[in-house]
Amino acid sequence: MGKMLAVRFVRLIATILAVSFLTFLMVNLLPGDPINALIPPEAQHDQEFVEQLREEFGLNDPMLVRYGKWLGDAVTGDLGKSVITKQPVAQEIWRRLPITSELAIVSVVFSLMMAVPLGTLSAYKQGKRVDQGISAVAQVSLSIPNFVLGLFLIYLFAMKLRWLPATGWTRLTESVSGNIKSVLLPAMSLALAEIAVYTRVVRSDMVSTLQEDYVLSARAKGLKDRFILFRHALRPSSLTLITVVGLNVGALIGGTVVMEVLFAIPGLGKRLLDAIFQRDFLMVQGITVFIAIVYVTINTVVDIIYMLVDPRIRKKV
Amino acid sequence: MNKLTRKRGSAMRLIAVLLAAVMVATACGSDSGGDAAPVATTAAPDATETTAAPTTATPTTEAPTTTATPTTTTEAPPVGPAQGGDASVGLEAEAPGLRPWEDTCSSPCYNMMNAVFDKLTEQYADGSYGGFLAEDLTANDDYTVWTMNLRPGVVFHDGSELTAQTIADMFVVQQTGAASSGAIGSSSLAAVEATGDLEVTYTLSAANAIFPAYLSRAALGMVFAPSTGADEDAVTAAGNAPIGTGPFMVDSRDVDNKTVMVRNPNYWMSDSFGTQLPYLDSVTFHPIPDEGTRLSSLASGTVTAMQSLRQASIRDARNTDGLWLFEHQGNNAGGGMFNVTVAPYDDVRVRRGLMHMNNQDAVIEALGGKGISTGATQFFAPDSPFYSQAVADAYPAFDVAAGVVLVTEYINDPARSDGRAVGENIEVELSCPPDPTLIAAMQVIQAIMESTGIVDVNMSNYDQATHIGMAVGAADGTFIGTHNMHCWRWGSEDDPGMGMNGGFADPFDPSGVGALNFSNWYSEEAYGYLVEAVKTDDMPTRVALYEKFGLILTAESPIWYSGGTATVIATAEGLGGLDSWEMPDGEAGIGHPAAEGRWAQAYWAAE
Repeated sequence: MGKMLAVRFVRLIATILAVSFLTFLMVNLLPGDPINALIPPEAQHDQEFVEQLREEFGLNDPMLVRYGKWLGDAVTGDLGKSVITKQPVAQEIWRRLPITSELAIVSVVFSLMMAVPLGTLSAYKQGKRVDQGISAVAQVSLSIPNFVLGLFLIYLFAMKLRWLPATGWTRLTESVSGNIKSVLLPAMSLALAEIAVYTRVVRSDMVSTLQEDYVLSARAKGLKDRFILFRHALRPSSLTLITVVGLNVGALIGGTVVMEVLFAIPGLGKRLLDAIFQRDFLMVQGITVFIAIVYVTINTVVDIIYMLVDPRIRKKV
Repeated sequence: MNKLTRKRGSAMRLIAVLLAAVMVATACGSDSGGDAAPVATTAAPDATETTAAPTTATPTTEAPTTTATPTTTTEAPPVGPAQGGDASVGLEAEAPGLRPWEDTCSSPCYNMMNAVFDKLTEQYADGSYGGFLAEDLTANDDYTVWTMNLRPGVVFHDGSELTAQTIADMFVVQQTGAASSGAIGSSSLAAVEATGDLEVTYTLSAANAIFPAYLSRAALGMVFAPSTGADEDAVTAAGNAPIGTGPFMVDSRDVDNKTVMVRNPNYWMSDSFGTQLPYLDSVTFHPIPDEGTRLSSLASGTVTAMQSLRQASIRDARNTDGLWLFEHQGNNAGGGMFNVTVAPYDDVRVRRGLMHMNNQDAVIEALGGKGISTGATQFFAPDSPFYSQAVADAYPAFDVAAGVVLVTEYINDPARSDGRAVGENIEVELSCPPDPTLIAAMQVIQAIMESTGIVDVNMSNYDQATHIGMAVGAADGTFIGTHNMHCWRWGSEDDPGMGMNGGFADPFDPSGVGALNFSNWYSEEAYGYLVEAVKTDDMPTRVALYEKFGLILTAESPIWYSGGTATVIATAEGLGGLDSWEMPDGEAGIGHPAAEGRWAQAYWAAE
């Protein structure tokens, strides 16, 4: 177990280094110049001033030198300052992380709450109308872009019913009820496609599990179906689900950008998008590497959960 | 002596520093504004307004009555401003920071800055300039020295007093400011000195009769506590916690989410009836980048106001019940330019030929602006005192046949500049930022051009910062841009001298004076008219000079238009005052050009 964790840790470091370098390389290959976003054109004709700014932000150094400097500072937790706002990148990440995390977690929890019973029911009723109906709905759900659902939810819950705010974010520290109201619509929009995917994953694994001998044995003992499904079959049917959820949470940390823009949520994805458009190199670099760390870490955690859930894997390790 | 202090009935001299046509290197071509783009500003007299909003001349007694689109608005009962209440405003983008000297701002950012900072001068409804924090501003005979007296009794949000020394100390910060250093150069400002407790003397390195216009914009005109620019830490902090003298103070700022501003209890200004401003207790700004959900937020009550620079949003707002619309269309117009240093655009026949193939009505319709925006032919809207009918008549109107004749002439010219064989089609690269409505509009132009069978059009889209960067030349003329037929936005309500001089100076001048000449077109004669126009404040003289310039520009056709930029501030029924705010002397201010609201005098209508 310890050895496995050590190997995982080395892989994690290597991945982060690779991601950070590739990000640095790609951001530098983008057309454009942060000076264009930093100062108005009327100031850009002052070459002396422009040079002064370039020096200040280290834009004149060769790329490898800049990467080396950035990496040296990054290991101490200093991810640099935004070229545009002058705010520390790390501070921006920590300020926005709770928002994006909450959005991702709520959407995953919401989708699991829907998908696990639906997937189980679908497997239990395999081949019947209920199963076909759930599969059809899942198929349709997968086909609907989440921003379209978001617009519909805004129309229904904000404009027509006036139950929830159309846009904006209330921090948990400000108001619990306000926070819940502001997370519901974007989380529901994000959850739709996840529900469909998770439902199919649960169904697929559950169908296999229900054909196992120990399930037949449990049935022969006269145990109730509900007990068999949720007590005996669900746990071994959740390995694939755990993998998919793990990958999805990591992806959501950086992948909620569409929802963040649509619902005007000040999350990491929105900030990353703005930084790309502004050629705010250090901000792009910092957020991308942070997302990579989260992604790799979550994958490692998923592996550990595997072992906890399935004794056979634990035994192999 | 040239005195800026406003006197009723003696406006001619003041009109000399009127409205705008600043060539704007801003968001390009589309009907949207852009945060990354430097914006040259504000708006014109309101003759073209189509607001469905209250149109009270003063924010006091009259009821809002005008409804341009009665089906979308509600007639309000006789009302006046109520003291108190809150407003929440959906903006199209977040402000990068709230430092007038440092942050490149556009319309949404100015909404916020106008609430925190007062300016030294402001524009009247007719576009002329008057004192705001400045009580008066006078120049010597050759406009190289300007003397300003500040209004007494004005205090900053931190309790410190506004004095002449404050303005001098601000200049120290402004000289190294990312946003203000350029304005210092283009205004020829050389020194700022406190010559009395409240008397400030500006010394210029060259004659500048339109200097008051510079004091009406953020870079040089917004008054901030110099301590906020004292060192790097202070500058960083000021991005989110600015200190001005304005009607509202920043209470909290959660970037990209909301900035809460509360009433400044010590604000110096009162309305005509002696009521201390601001009327509102607080105003909260929410950046809501998506146009559709911004309007949904207003319609659902999530916010009580929103701004937009998109025609399609105006159309949708007109179709939404329960809103007051403060619409505006001034000098600003979308369109583009040709890089005249690149073939085939180096030939005027091609430029004019392509302009003849531009159907502005169809483009406006594609942008969603049918019945909202009008076409454009020059830097000035028809209600601007600088508008020229002669220039309008000379503009290459939509006439495909005429365009084909001109382009065919070029194609069949053995000396054609693009190196292609005689008879071969010309190739045009049309580039715009990747805005869906803008792309749709450009596809209209592309279709018409390609339908002639003699023009091949490639469309390209880059994000706004890159798009602008492609056109911004180097100071020494060694880089003249990598653009071709390039979407751009032109004009504003500022004095035309503020932007046009730099925009049409020699791009190859080693001094860098023409680095903002994005089309790279230069005419010594035409530029001479622009230079003369900022050396005088005699209005008829200036109008004539800008007309002469405009006729040469139109004949040479380095820039083209796709239609005027309509803007709107939409509010929940009852939230008014945006079009009727007053200057300190009681005269009407310029209103809400470019969807820049002055929230100091916004109010909830009293029953």
